[in-house]
Amino acid sequence: MRPANDVHGRDPGASRLLAKSDLVSWIRRLMDDAEVIAPATGAGGDLMFAPVSDPEAVWLGPGNPLQPPKQYVLPQTDPIVRIERNGGGVQVSSISDERTRVIFGMRSCDARGMAYLRRMQATDLPDDAYLRRADRVTVVTLACTTPCTLGFCVCCDAGPFARDGHDVQLVDLGDRFLAEGATERGRAMVAEAPFRPATQVDVVKRDELEREAERHFGDESAHLGAAMRRISTRRVAEELWEAMSPWCFECGGCNFICPTCYCFSVKDRCQDHGWERCRTWDSCQYSAFTLEASGHNPRERRKDRIKRRFFHKVSAQYYQRDGAVGCVGCGRCVQTCLGTTDMPAVVAAIRKGVWHG
Amino acid sequence: MGDLFLPEVARIASMRDETPDTRTFALRLRDDRRHDSFSFRPGQFLELSVFGFGEAPFCFASSPTRPDSIETTVRRTGQLTNVLHTLAVGDEVGVRGPCGNGFDVEAARGKDLLFVGGGIGLPPLRGLIWNVLDERDRFGRIQILYGARTPTDLVYKDELRMWAERGDLELLVTVDRGESGWTGNVGMVPTLFDKTDLRPATTLAYVCGPPIMIKFVVQDLLMRGFAEESVISTLERMMQCGVGKCNHCAIGHCYICRDGPVFNFKQIRELVE
Repeated sequence: MRPANDVHGRDPGASRLLAKSDLVSWIRRLMDDAEVIAPATGAGGDLMFAPVSDPEAVWLGPGNPLQPPKQYVLPQTDPIVRIERNGGGVQVSSISDERTRVIFGMRSCDARGMAYLRRMQATDLPDDAYLRRADRVTVVTLACTTPCTLGFCVCCDAGPFARDGHDVQLVDLGDRFLAEGATERGRAMVAEAPFRPATQVDVVKRDELEREAERHFGDESAHLGAAMRRISTRRVAEELWEAMSPWCFECGGCNFICPTCYCFSVKDRCQDHGWERCRTWDSCQYSAFTLEASGHNPRERRKDRIKRRFFHKVSAQYYQRDGAVGCVGCGRCVQTCLGTTDMPAVVAAIRKGVWHG
Repeated sequence: MGDLFLPEVARIASMRDETPDTRTFALRLRDDRRHDSFSFRPGQFLELSVFGFGEAPFCFASSPTRPDSIETTVRRTGQLTNVLHTLAVGDEVGVRGPCGNGFDVEAARGKDLLFVGGGIGLPPLRGLIWNVLDERDRFGRIQILYGARTPTDLVYKDELRMWAERGDLELLVTVDRGESGWTGNVGMVPTLFDKTDLRPATTLAYVCGPPIMIKFVVQDLLMRGFAEESVISTLERMMQCGVGKCNHCAIGHCYICRDGPVFNFKQIRELVE
């Protein structure tokens, strides 16, 4: 757990105030220069991250959309290469998305997810197309002052207040927001009117809210450290994975709604005069994920695929490779899993050595 | 690497049928300058695009010491390879790479080299074999043991004859089942070990073939005194990106496309799903 902020050691310019009455006009101003994405209620009644057309419709109340905002940096179908056929033969060119975006009202868990994805794409061979897109995304988070139903960000050090991945964090102080610039870009955004300097009282209030929020999240519900020790040293019995496997329906839902899942396949999609090569989300829980042309499949059994998912998310080996644990504690897999092979349930099973289904 | 996924357009310069279902494609990048600056190590692989059908990884079957063309030997097995086999000389494909680590040719200097190939497992070794033969005086004794299901399934038949005639290497070929006219060895690849003399202490063994062959060959070599570090193989997995991002080829926390595909047996033993 991060130590509480030292009020006196804090950069005085970093904490600013925004009156709630100025919120809509601020969003409108952001919309002048960027596509603003924010949680809003869709036609079917679901909360979702969507481009804002009406700033009044931005939802900053409790709850987090079931789909994380990762689609704005890693779209489900992402064109990466244009392949054109003309008289002179095939021409290939990279496709990059250089739209300027602000994702507004993101929660700390998703901000950690964005930081995780960026780090992964930037290391080893950097994917510049990804980084160009991600670098044009500004993240404005809203601190969670009341816990969500299924989240366990406190177990992953990913919340309830933002740790990384954000440019500006808003903290709801009642009639106003405390606005904290976390990056140079973020500090510039909150430097001018309608933002005004925060007082010591506001900052103290903010720290109280953070401590209170952490308390409200309650005891740790996912002991990732204990699971990491066992999974990294291969001390999880094969029978345990076997026992879990009837509880997974291979729907891939846990992958698609996970803020840190990034596995993909590459497909050519027909277009006028050629094709677009796209990367598309894929799921390590599908048996075809590792199916080879010869028919050989090293992870044919479902238990091996479940084991694979949790090894990638929770092992120390991947902690070192990816720089963080592959879970942000958002709780979406708990909500979406048709069975019960979600993160807290599997972590508990690994820790206790028993699967209750 | 600005364009991680952008292939280079190449033309099929020539093709040669190896077996009824396996063909060697010689590729030349359309841009001469790019072709001349394209470099790779044996054991690395390329992502080959058949436009409209995607891309798939294939090993370089040619040696960097012969840079005129980039060769790859492909068996007709799935959707992409089926289409690839319908292409003609002059048709355009995409080449992305080189990917993966490749064989450490420098580390093999001065050593005796044993190549053990099975079926379609000879192509990745062929690049290294020609590399070594083109710099013959830098290496010790060279033995090539190769087996296939039937004589028809042997790839590079002309080159096998060429190697057999050379006095500076030993070639032993076997087939699982003979055909009429076959006068050579019949039996699985490990049966060749008794027909030659192995020098485990000074030899690096390069083993490539179907998983079942690798298993028995490696077991045999270890029993005959080879160190785990001296037995080197290339691994395959279902692959998409080839650049360590898509996660299809992961074994444990290793990516075959980045940390491999070449591993020694000690490393392979430590790869746990």
